Parts: sequence; C-alpha cells; structure tokens
Amino acid sequence: MIHLGTILGGAESSVPEARGKIRRLMRDLTNDGMVATRVATVASQLFRAANRIEQAGRIDVHLILDRAEPELVLDLVGVGGKMDCSVADAFFDAVHVVRVEGESTVRMVLRLPHLDPAAHQPRRQRELRDAVEEKGREALMRELTVKNRELQESFDNLRRTTTAKERMESELNIGRDIQMSMLPLKFPPFPHRNEFTVFATLEPAREVGGDFYDFFLIDEDRFCFCVGDVSGKGVPAALFMAVTKTLIKSRATNDFSPASILTHVNDEISENNESAMFVTLWLGILDVTTGELSYCNAGHNPPYLRSASGEVVRLANRHGPVVGAVEGLVYGEDAATLQSGDYLFVYTDGVTEAMDPAGELYEEDRLVRVLEARDYDSVEEMVAASTEDVWRFQAEAEQADDVTVLAVRFTGREGGAAGTHVLELEAGNRYEEIDRVNRSFDEFASTHGLPEKVRRSMKLVFDDLLNNVISYAYEDEDEHLIEIRIELSPDRLAVRITDDGHPFNPFGRTSPDTALELEEREIGGLGIHLVQNLMDEVSYTRRTDRNVVVLVKYLSHEAAENEPSEETT
Amino acid sequence: MKISHDERDGVAVIRFEGNLDTNTAPEAQDTLDGLVAGGTTKVLVDFGALDYISSAGLRVLLATAKKLRGSGGNLRLCSLNETVAEVFEISGFSTIFAVFPSEAEALEGF
Repeated sequence: MIHLGTILGGAESSVPEARGKIRRLMRDLTNDGMVATRVATVASQLFRAANRIEQAGRIDVHLILDRAEPELVLDLVGVGGKMDCSVADAFFDAVHVVRVEGESTVRMVLRLPHLDPAAHQPRRQRELRDAVEEKGREALMRELTVKNRELQESFDNLRRTTTAKERMESELNIGRDIQMSMLPLKFPPFPHRNEFTVFATLEPAREVGGDFYDFFLIDEDRFCFCVGDVSGKGVPAALFMAVTKTLIKSRATNDFSPASILTHVNDEISENNESAMFVTLWLGILDVTTGELSYCNAGHNPPYLRSASGEVVRLANRHGPVVGAVEGLVYGEDAATLQSGDYLFVYTDGVTEAMDPAGELYEEDRLVRVLEARDYDSVEEMVAASTEDVWRFQAEAEQADDVTVLAVRFTGREGGAAGTHVLELEAGNRYEEIDRVNRSFDEFASTHGLPEKVRRSMKLVFDDLLNNVISYAYEDEDEHLIEIRIELSPDRLAVRITDDGHPFNPFGRTSPDTALELEEREIGGLGIHLVQNLMDEVSYTRRTDRNVVVLVKYLSHEAAENEPSEETT
Repeated sequence: MKISHDERDGVAVIRFEGNLDTNTAPEAQDTLDGLVAGGTTKVLVDFGALDYISSAGLRVLLATAKKLRGSGGNLRLCSLNETVAEVFEISGFSTIFAVFPSEAEALEGF
C-alpha cells in the first residue's frame, strides 16, 4: 500500500482547491481525465457534506498495488456514520465505514483497471510500481506536501479573519451548499437507455457564481435538459435557482414545448420578483427515438452541435431575454434533428470567460477547437476534454466564475441496436414462474455466448428479485404479470423488471451486517445485498403505477477478469 | 435439482446438483432436516455440481448449521464454483462456514 498524500478539508472555500488536487492526482495516476473529474467531483461533494456536519476531516489517499487489480483508496477520516455517502456509491466500487486510527472513517475504494496490467502484463506492472514508488511517488509527495502546507496556511488565515467576513463567507457557503445539493450527480443517470447518454459537471468558483444544470425524462421518449446561470450569489441566488428548477420540472411534466415552458416559468418568476434577480437559461427537449430536438435560448450562451462527421455548428438563435426580468414575454423556439452519433454541448459563460494568469479570456474559439479536435467516444470524454482545456488555460489564475458543461449524445434506436439482442418475458406472480424465466434466460445466454459467471450471477439475481416481488409486492390474491426485458449489447447486459405491486424500493433498505457470527446471523435483506454486489448498477423508480428495477452488468470488465494471467501459464 | 447422499467415515455427504434457489430450497431443507432429526451430527455439503445458490439456499444452510450446532454437530461445505464462492464472500458466509476446496480435504479430520 502506497500512501500518496493527505488532503485537508475545512472551510467551503478550501473545497475547490482540494478538488483540483484530487483531480490532478487521479489524472496523473490513470491518465484518464474523465475518471479524474468524476472522482474529484464525488470527493468534493463528500468534503462539503463533512463540512456541513462540522467535521472537516481529511482525505488520506492510498494506492494499493499488491492486488490482482490495483485499487485507489480514499479514506475520509473522522466522519464515518454521521453523513450521507450515497453520492459515492454511484461511482466508487465500494464505500463503507471502517475504523482508522480509532476514528470512524468513510472508505471509498476505486478499482483502477486502467492501471491493471496484473492480469496479462506482469512486466508492465513492475514498471508501473517502480514509477509510482520511485519517481512518480516522490514527485506527487512533494507536490502534495507543498499544497497541503498552502492549504493549511490559507485555512489558518481564514480563521483569523474578522467576524463580518466570516458571516459573509458562511452565507456564501450555505448558498453554495444549496446550489450543489440540487444537481443530479449520479452518472450514468439512465443506464437502461441506450438511445442517448448524458454527462454534466459543475466546477464552482470560490465566491461568485450561480450555475446549475438539470435533466430528466418527461416520459419514455422525451428527455428534457437545461443549463442556467443565476445573477447574484449566496442564499438568495440559491433559492432563486431552486424555484426556477422546480418550476421548470413541474411545467415540463405536461408541456412539451421549451418555448411554452420558459414563457410560463418567466411569468411565474417575474410576477413577484422583488429581488430583481434573473437567470439565463437554455432548455432542450430531445425525442430520444427520433432525434428531434426543440430548444429555447433565454439569454444564454449558444450551445454547439457536433455531428458524427465532425462538423461543429453553433445553435446561435436566441429566443428572448433572460428569465425573470420582464413579465408577459412570449419566448420562441427552434427545432433541429440529431443524427445517430451527434453530440450537443451546452455550457455557461464560466467556460468562455475563464481567465489565464495574464488576464486573457478563454473565449469560444478555443472551445470550438476542442470540440473539433477529435471524435469523442463518450459524453464523459467530451466533457473531460473541454473542462481540462479550460483548467490548462487558467493555469494558476483563480477561477472567477462557476464552470458548467453538459453534453448529450444521441444514438437512437437504430444506432443502439447494432449487436444488441433483446429477450422479453412475462412471468406470473407464482414461484414456479422463476424457473421458467431462468430456463428462458439460460437459452438466451447460451445462444449469445454470455460468460458463464455472468449467466450464473444473473440467474441468482432473477431468483432473489422475483422472489421478492412475488412475496411482498401484492396485497391481494389476484394474478399479476411481471415484465422482464433483457438487453444484451457488446459491452453490457441490462435488465428491466417491471411490476404493478404497491410502491416498494428494494434498494432502499440498509445492507445486513455480514460480519456477524453464525448464531447472530439473520437472513433478511441478504438477497438484495447479493443483487447489489453482483450487479454493476442497480436502480429503482416508481413510474405511474409500476415499480421499475433496472440492473446493469458490464461485460468487457468481466471478460478481462476471466482471461488467464501470464503468471499462471 | 437433484439431491443425493451417502455416508463416508461417519459423515453424511450431500450432493446438490442444479440450482439451490426459491423453488428447490424446501426440498433441500427437508433432506437436511431429515438427517439432523435422524441423529446425524456431521454433514458435508458438496457443491461441485451446483450451478448457483440464491439467498433462499443460503437460508437453508444457515438454518441447518444452527440446528447442528444445537445438537453438538457440525456442517462443512466443499467444491464451490466461482459464482457460489463469490456469493459466500459477499454474504460473509465464507467466514462463518468451514469451506474446503474438495470433498477429500473436507473429510480429512472431520
């Protein structure tokens, strides 16, 4: 185990610095900007949560190389059990509370297959270990020690500031907390949908900034997403943002026109807007089956459309002024049709107005060059490339405004169907039906050459989940149908189980204590615990009168694990 | 699922073939309960021909182990495939049960 350094928490103002530090460290380790950005985002969220419970804590970063697969371990020391760490569940491979030096600690473990030469290249693993231990580790340690000292000094300075400033700062922090807690942070948010993907990141500035983003499925086919920038700062701006976001979402449930949605939201907000705040907004609704996009731009930076062929087009039209300024306005909208493989890139002015140490602005030309630079494999990669370019440009200059970037990639049904096989089943609410489902799945699995281990895990998962539904979902004695949709694509197996029982989230309970002695062990909750651990992603949603459980198992990862290592041959 | 059992050196050896899940757990439980009720104290469950085990199957093992311990007996398990072994790891069963790679090793010193 290699200790790579310690990152100190503390005041809200230190979080962006800590975040940057974790991002750089991760980028150096994995050479993957996307992983780096995501780990840093989650870590900074946890820091904020820790600050909220006034347990600043610290993060100890370790790299474990003496395993089949290297692991990065982040220990958030001194806060275990007191805070909600669910944000980390979505991204880390394991999150649990442990004791470290007598302190209750949240341990987040991230497997690093990128660093994983163990399975097939023992020589590269040695080189890597040498690199990290000798040169890499020294360099990282030096940098981290210096940064830690700086962070401690600025933290000490902060404590010495006057009461007035502290008050102002604490008000800003509360505003920031509200702002950050409103963002959807679970990615991928819709793992069972392969018609489109979305990824977004918001890097808050130290003081000023009121960016936000949001996205949700209005119904099966319509995906609504928006990016905005609220004037002002602190608690009033954060509350204004919360109101705007809520109004958009409630209006969008039965109004599918971006122009109409923003017209109504503008009326609602302008009516009683004594604070004279306003928000720039870009809102789009994408039909994920046809690629038809309608959008409305209310005083926001025009986004970019990058076609599969590499052409980058600016969606330049604006349809009205900022929202909240003038009552009774009618906004317009435009339409475009996305082709399979097209990307839509929406951002805030924090990107184009980022400043380098000489005071020069980043500006749109640079952004366009990044978008044109290459064919991106994923939304995550595009977002990482664009934000990384901004950080590179900004260098040591202080970040002046929030930087928000959101990318959507449209694939459509046809694009997603390449190499995809689907099995749709219906099962009655009788235990014998589980057998029938598993027999059909066995046939499907062997026809399409699903790895043996995945096939077995999946059958167990079906047994436990269907048993759960049949046993607990229904209050009557009637016959019910459970729908099962299994979709096998080259890189993943996605399963959706839908039942019409009473609302119940199987993943909403805490996991059983698996460390108890035989006499104390109870079996309750164990099935769900197995499902959560055997699958890569699990999610539950209540859709009108149905429970929908979605499971995803990634296959490339699995295949790599099954490859015999050189050492054993 | 097929269940077969024979006795070797005073140990009842049970072999499960197929799936130990919601639908087969009752039969497995009956078989094991019958042995314990008949005075058997040493039970070895051989998982060599088992495809998978779900929580319903784990429940059977837990109940049997508790009953055996109550009567001064013991339960051993052997020949877990990769999936079954993973389930044992995740559930913590690998630490509360005596698990052996093969039947021969499990019988040794039982």
